[in-house]
Amino acid sequence: MPGTTASESVTPGRTFSELRRALVEARRAWSSRAWLGTAVFTAALLLPLVLPRDVAVDRLAHYAYLAAAAVALGLLVGPGGMPSLCQGVFVGLGAVISARLGSAPLLVALACATAVAALAGAAVGAGFARLRAVYLAVATWLIAWGFALALLASPRIVGGAEGVVVGPGRVAGVDLTPTVHYELGVVLVLVAVLGTASVRRSALGLQLEGVGVTPAGALALGVPRGAARTRAFALSAALAGLAGALAVHLALVADPAAYGPLLSFQLLVACLVGGAASPVGPVVGIALVALMGPAGEAVGRLTGAETARFGAMLSALLLVAVLASGTGGIVPAIETRLRARSRRAAPAPEAPAERQARAGERLAAQGLVKRFGEHVALAGLDLDLEPGRITALVGPNGSGKSTALRLLSGGLVADEGRVRLAEHVLGALPARERVRLGIVRTLQRPPAFTGMTALDAVAVGAAADRPARAGRAFFATPAARAGGRRARADALFALDAVGLREAAGRRCDELTGAERQLVAIAAALATKPVVLLLDEPAAGAGAQEVAHLGDVLRSLRGDGLTVLVVEHNLRLVHDVADTVVVLDRGAILARGSPTDVADDPRVRAAYLGRAVPVADDDI
Amino acid sequence: MSVALQVAITGLAAGGVYGLVAVGYSLVFRLTGTIAFAFGDLIGLGVFATLLVAVGTGPVSQTSVGGARYALAVVCGLLICVAVGVAGYLLVVEPFLLRGSTVGWIAGTLALAFALRAVLQSVFPREAYVFPDPIPFERLGTDGFVEIGGASIQIRAFYVIAVAIGLALGAVWLLERTRIGRGLRAIAEDADGARLVGVPVDLFVPIAFGLVGAIAALAAIVASPSAPVTVETWPLVGVKGLAAAAVARFVLPWPALVAGLGLGVAEAAVAEVHVGSLQPGAGWSALLPLGLALAVLAARPPDDARDDGE
Repeated sequence: MPGTTASESVTPGRTFSELRRALVEARRAWSSRAWLGTAVFTAALLLPLVLPRDVAVDRLAHYAYLAAAAVALGLLVGPGGMPSLCQGVFVGLGAVISARLGSAPLLVALACATAVAALAGAAVGAGFARLRAVYLAVATWLIAWGFALALLASPRIVGGAEGVVVGPGRVAGVDLTPTVHYELGVVLVLVAVLGTASVRRSALGLQLEGVGVTPAGALALGVPRGAARTRAFALSAALAGLAGALAVHLALVADPAAYGPLLSFQLLVACLVGGAASPVGPVVGIALVALMGPAGEAVGRLTGAETARFGAMLSALLLVAVLASGTGGIVPAIETRLRARSRRAAPAPEAPAERQARAGERLAAQGLVKRFGEHVALAGLDLDLEPGRITALVGPNGSGKSTALRLLSGGLVADEGRVRLAEHVLGALPARERVRLGIVRTLQRPPAFTGMTALDAVAVGAAADRPARAGRAFFATPAARAGGRRARADALFALDAVGLREAAGRRCDELTGAERQLVAIAAALATKPVVLLLDEPAAGAGAQEVAHLGDVLRSLRGDGLTVLVVEHNLRLVHDVADTVVVLDRGAILARGSPTDVADDPRVRAAYLGRAVPVADDDI
Repeated sequence: MSVALQVAITGLAAGGVYGLVAVGYSLVFRLTGTIAFAFGDLIGLGVFATLLVAVGTGPVSQTSVGGARYALAVVCGLLICVAVGVAGYLLVVEPFLLRGSTVGWIAGTLALAFALRAVLQSVFPREAYVFPDPIPFERLGTDGFVEIGGASIQIRAFYVIAVAIGLALGAVWLLERTRIGRGLRAIAEDADGARLVGVPVDLFVPIAFGLVGAIAALAAIVASPSAPVTVETWPLVGVKGLAAAAVARFVLPWPALVAGLGLGVAEAAVAEVHVGSLQPGAGWSALLPLGLALAVLAARPPDDARDDGE
């Protein structure tokens, strides 16, 4: 039920008009899913009234807290693409701290536990979130074990094998009975689901998803990977810590054995079984994991085994079965089924208010030299890119085109020479900083953005430089909501600029190669660049698509943008370029208008001598 | 001096197993790009399958066992290890590799790990078991201990070190000198290229998966009689081996092996630190390899995916 219930939408605005707007949005968003969500939530709250005597409400409360921690993990696993194997650590940290502060008022203990867990999450994020998924998994797995070993090694802190005994706790004159815990747990789950759903829609969510799905593409758009992921880790850990801190007052003991790697694994299982692509997936997952316990005991009784260890085994089997189905979890599978049946088009994003195209700026390179060991890739390149002009960089393979592009975009640092944007000398400024100044590039192979809609993929570019505070996104503050909305509005403009507006709601994996190239250009445009560097945008495009690309580039030139195209497709070059620069073995061979260059005998020799014909589809 | 010697011997005995586990992790990582999170539990399976065939699941009163039955038990344990390793690769790693789902194989191998542990805990529910030993070390020296330079050292430890290092050298020899080893290294460098020149990749990788498990399990079986064994022991050994492999950045074969040995010794040294009559390091020593590995991982440069095709 992402983004749809009233309790989330009526967050008081700063002003009356903001509040009214929120109400209007809430009414519009009150869909059938919202009804379903409200009904399930109400039913869950009322469950203890109708519960059979033999179902212990404290078990339900326990699983409600686990569900909150799993929902928090879902933010990392789902949009973030980060297989974190240490979510149980944050639950345990919250539990132990809350238990040690047993004599303090409960609210103080909860706040401390949440804060420490958030700090720990930020530390884990800062240390490891920039790594590839494999290394992130190894690091978090070692952390999960390290935490378990540390608890065992410090009996004075955790009270030995029995753990720390805690009182039942009392808030505002209310004793925390298991039933109260259960109601608290259900509310916490709701808050976690709505909050993480709000994060997913926000600028932070776009940054996380872009980096998670297609790291190279998102980084080229200037998405701050480390910062975005660290924020997500801190937020997720804070929620898990709060859940753990509350759960310990239910269990009445902080048992170190309960916070081992198995807990982290179970939380991951819940995410994957239920489906981390949906904020409610992990809740469904925890419900199934909870059912595996009694099911395992039943199997144990049938087989007469000495211990009932079958619960863990059944969870493992369930996980493998769901993973093998390749549906991405139960809830996403159901959603896909429902969507296929209703064939409902994606909701049209609201029309953007005003277009804020930036005028182009002059980008000049002087004497760029780049060596790779002995090999001189670029031997003194001078380039002068002017606003409102398209410069094409052509040349045989290995002539230094891509090296030049990477030097301009900040992917590589030049050995000699300098690059200036207007009066600004760029030096060794990294790619992300150059994107902020307005120099953005596309990749030779367009990023896949699998599973994202074209609109969201383009919005990654628009969101890359937006403030993305995790707390604000979680509590859906007006600023955070506006951030996500504006990113999508900008994205719609950018899609419009490449003539792909009607594809906004389609998934990127359903697009053709040429359309994906246009999405990549739109994403670059969504960063509001002053200089656009395109790496073989016509690769793999048919004649009609090349003609369309030519129209797009001409209209960008009309907007006053500075454009550089590295291209093999000489038809496109001839079609759009104002200036053509021909590179050969790292040096400029010729420079001039397309017609002049085409007639240059040296150019013909360089191409024909290497038997590279003037072809349309030279990939 | 005496303490140093004791630390070195106990450390090397433990570290030899870590080193083999680290080689296993590194080989699997180089071959497939995956981490075999179930490695420790696979070793546990080998050890307990051996125990089952040798003496059954009852409380072990005899600490020795006939040579023939022990040999049979070891063979059975290793075969089960290979079989489950191969099956595990084919069921929970390869399908997800083909689909490009990282989280799939991570969760799959973890599921295998916890499922194996659950099975072992059901069959072997006791706290700890005494592992039989075909070689009567306790008759040597003073109840199996020998005094060297004032230190009292378990004679078994030398045997364990010898076997572990022997196995490690054997594994290195296998990798560097044999046809299979060259094939494996070719796959590790470039799987598609290896396939093109006729290396049976689809056959070699699952076999390597099972084989590294069996080699490490053999070392574990040899080391097991030195102390009571529990189901929980081997997953932890697996994690320490993973830490060693991470410290060595998954480089084969010597760095992984040396990292394992080094971590074993360092762990033993930390455990020996005395403050007055207290030994505060005992519980914390296991954290040392993990901390080191995390430091190495945190120092990695950001994994920037290559930004273009060139």
